[in-house]
Amino acid sequence: MMNTENHSAQTIPYRESSQPRVPWLQRKWMRTILYHGFVALTAIAMIYPILWLFGSSLKGSDEIWTNQAALIPDDIKFDNYSNGWKGFGSITFTTFYKNSFIYAGVGTLLTVSASAVVAYGFARVKFTGRQFWFGVMLLTLMLPIQVQIIPQYIMFNKLDWINTFYPLLLPRLGGQAFFIFMIVQFIRGIPNELDEAALIDGCGKIGIFFRIILPQLKPAIITAAIFSFYWTWEDFLTPLLYLNSPDLYTVSLALRTYSDPSGQTDWGAIFAMSSLSLVPVFVIFVVFQRYLVEGIATTGLKG
Amino acid sequence: MKSKRALLITLLILVAMVLPSAAVFSQDETVELRMAWWGSQTRHDKTIAVIELYETLNPNVDIVYEPSGWDDHWTKLATQAAGGDLPDIIQHDYQRIREWVANDLLLPLDEFIESGVIDTTNIADASLAGGIVDGKLYGFNLGNNSETFVIDVDALEAAGVELPPVDWTWADFEEMALKLAASGVYAAGGNLHFSEHWKGLYISCCDSYAYNAEGNGLGYTEEEDQYFVDYLNMLLRLQDAGAIPTLEETTANANTSVEDSYIVTGQAAIEYGWSNMIVAIWTAAGEDRNFIEWTVPRVVDGLPRNYIKPSMFFAISKDSDKAEEAAKFIDFFTNSIEANEILFAERGVPVSSAVREALSSQLGPAQQEMFDFLGVVEGYNSPIRPPDPAAHADINSNVYLPQVVEPILYGMMSPEEGVKILRDEAELLLSQ
Amino acid sequence: MGDAIIKFPTRQPKKSRFGRNNIVGYLFISPWLIAFILFGLIPMVVSFGLAFTNYHILRGWDFIGLDNFHRMFYEDRRYWNSVRATVKYVIIAVPLRLVFALAVAMLLNTKRRGVAFYRAAFYAPSVVGGSIAVAVMWREIFAREGLVNYLIGQFGQESIWWLGHPDYAIWTLILLAAWQFGSPMLIFLAGLKQIPGQLYESASIDGANGIQKFFRITFPLLTPVVFFNLVMQLIAGFMTFTQAFIITNGSGRPLDTTLFYALYLYKRGFETYEMGYASAMAWVMLVVVALLTAIVFATSARWVYYESQEGK
Repeated sequence: MMNTENHSAQTIPYRESSQPRVPWLQRKWMRTILYHGFVALTAIAMIYPILWLFGSSLKGSDEIWTNQAALIPDDIKFDNYSNGWKGFGSITFTTFYKNSFIYAGVGTLLTVSASAVVAYGFARVKFTGRQFWFGVMLLTLMLPIQVQIIPQYIMFNKLDWINTFYPLLLPRLGGQAFFIFMIVQFIRGIPNELDEAALIDGCGKIGIFFRIILPQLKPAIITAAIFSFYWTWEDFLTPLLYLNSPDLYTVSLALRTYSDPSGQTDWGAIFAMSSLSLVPVFVIFVVFQRYLVEGIATTGLKG
Repeated sequence: MKSKRALLITLLILVAMVLPSAAVFSQDETVELRMAWWGSQTRHDKTIAVIELYETLNPNVDIVYEPSGWDDHWTKLATQAAGGDLPDIIQHDYQRIREWVANDLLLPLDEFIESGVIDTTNIADASLAGGIVDGKLYGFNLGNNSETFVIDVDALEAAGVELPPVDWTWADFEEMALKLAASGVYAAGGNLHFSEHWKGLYISCCDSYAYNAEGNGLGYTEEEDQYFVDYLNMLLRLQDAGAIPTLEETTANANTSVEDSYIVTGQAAIEYGWSNMIVAIWTAAGEDRNFIEWTVPRVVDGLPRNYIKPSMFFAISKDSDKAEEAAKFIDFFTNSIEANEILFAERGVPVSSAVREALSSQLGPAQQEMFDFLGVVEGYNSPIRPPDPAAHADINSNVYLPQVVEPILYGMMSPEEGVKILRDEAELLLSQ
Repeated sequence: MGDAIIKFPTRQPKKSRFGRNNIVGYLFISPWLIAFILFGLIPMVVSFGLAFTNYHILRGWDFIGLDNFHRMFYEDRRYWNSVRATVKYVIIAVPLRLVFALAVAMLLNTKRRGVAFYRAAFYAPSVVGGSIAVAVMWREIFAREGLVNYLIGQFGQESIWWLGHPDYAIWTLILLAAWQFGSPMLIFLAGLKQIPGQLYESASIDGANGIQKFFRITFPLLTPVVFFNLVMQLIAGFMTFTQAFIITNGSGRPLDTTLFYALYLYKRGFETYEMGYASAMAWVMLVVVALLTAIVFATSARWVYYESQEGK
């Protein structure tokens, strides 16, 4: 209820008839305060656990469990970060970050660009077998990865690709079903008139894709990039299976190698490195989400 | 033009053929070994330091290491086993090794011991016995362990409870637990429902084991089911009395780390576990606390339950083409005093008496306690029980916990009923 | 199989362009098609074959016909426990996530100052993902002395061992899923951005209020995205794994109430090495999820509104 009110207040010019009857709610500043009050409180509740994680990463090893509930440590220490960064052996987190950036960066680039191209094919070109292949693509999403691990491993092992980035990156050349489906849905939300106008102007399917569809897909592509980066960044299973030597480990995989239920664990370092590993994902989000704000509706349409 | 290109291609092919073999020749000196283990950061750091030491002493050897957490270690190994791509040296576990041997994935180590590649002059036969499957040694013991009750001495004192006799029984434990509860601490941290207690009970009462020696059936009779019924009834009584945490509470706290365990936080006076755990407990709890390792209680009028068990093994994969080099590293890991000064009994008490002696002067209180406790257990001369049958993982995770112990301790099933289910289902799985 | 699932509301292709459309169509989907045939097809086919074997990772396999399915349906008690836990999770967590995601997306689809910060805050939980730190954090929140017990204590409720109680443990996982609603939220947000502002302006001129605008403009135009999120969350809900794996350490405790299907399948595959049985479980799930998806697709013609079909 309240959502729609606030939403409409922002996107359309004021009109008496669309406003609630409660007098004080008609004041714009009142509504602004209500909005910020409500959203900010919810937002704080949402990020509380993350603040706790960050707070714990600044606690000394004696304080982590004894002063568990506290958000702000009694005694702020940055040792956890320097200790954690050391990694293990002579391999530091510098290496893990480099590997993660390769995997997530290149992986995202491949995934998103391939997905957009493939999605256009499914959404706007009527070829024989379209529905069949689209169905097959959806089916690939429904088979748990756990039962595909072994055959996949044997296959990549036969290709002699173990301990390289090939098994991680090459399958991405085809995009990923989730993003293809998502972009298909967005393309189908774009009016056909635009295509047809372009057709009259002499554009082919390929021309329409690059000149009409692609610019309109900006929100979808940015969304896909944010997710793809994050999902690749946090993926530990593929690196676990295919990257053997620690100098190829990614951040998410390295983080998992630290804890053993029966052994000594440097929790401060784990919390510190876990907090730090959120930073790239978060930066990507903050940078990209700016483009979500100026969405399609305001950029206007060009025929 | 054409012939020139043909010549060029021929040349290229020739070069391509020669290059790899040349590469092999030039690398002839270097041996690359792959090694995988599970552990936490402490173990990773120590193990890697030893690997680096070995590489400096043996410049021709390059050890590629693959450290993981427990779960990931086994997921990865299973996948690699299916792909025929196992590491040369594998850290292995007492509960799993029998299954791996049965499926012909590991190499017997006897030839390396006979040829002296692995020097066992300072190692007691009993320490190696745990790694023997079907008469051959497959797992090389990396440290001795035994089940233990780690006792918080100060907590006992505060409750006015005396240390129990070493040959104490579950009845003694129950009595003591109630006294501790009265002083406001739990008697145990919550590991008393583990299947180790089911297995160990039959050592103490019946000089047997939960499984028979062949691993194709249970090792105790239907009348002897009663011992486990009695044990479960005791847990129920202690749960009701608030002397041990309920399974509900334990489950809510499970999988948290040693650092968060009840004995470290002071909520419990005793914690059940393996003897090498005391180092982590003491480190987490702080130097000003006082802990002692004690035997696990017996059945009334029973035999001692404690015996020496390998904490973990090194095994060599069947497909390794550098098995001898791998064996040399195992020898170094076991016998080198320099290496063990780095490892510092993190995997349990070293099996080599020479190493033990060399370390003895440098031990901290926690390690000292662990060494002393294993000395006591050694005195019992209890025979080691055979490694668990292949079906154990299935029985433990699909029968023992979800179908027996959980319903009983949540009060949804009687111990008599549960023990019967355990017998039926386990026999079925063991016979397959 | 695909034909049964997908019903594109198609126009008749123009005959003259038919051949060219085929070339262009396959050209566009070729990246996916080639990658699928090279990397995806073999593992899928193999896992299907393994469903009819007793494949044990270490031991090898024998063909055993339908035995795995018989064992699953008639002999394996834990299998049904896992079905129960998963269905309960899907029924509660999927709608919860979608409603949260849509509500928050609408709330944040504004140009007020500070909205970028709010978006980041609401998305943040989703980036902490499945790391070990999340497990510790979540356990801390639901601990005896944790935040949740403190809050319910304010209403006079007694503290609960959330993760140990057979009735409540699954709720900690459902809440974790609900808390991490960032991905459907962002997709909704991107969908909202695609709705032309002029539509609202003209609706305002016609005197529509906020609620009317939601049901007449926002929701209809958002249906392709709602549809996508519904299908994907449904699939993801049935395959849910990571949260349970890290928080209960994959044990399914207490009393199998958190033993999700994918978790049990993983345990069968990698803990007891029964990959044949795990494959059979996976394919049963695939059939069930595919049927459900097909049902959603079948209903979609009635409620999903595609702009691209308009004015034809």
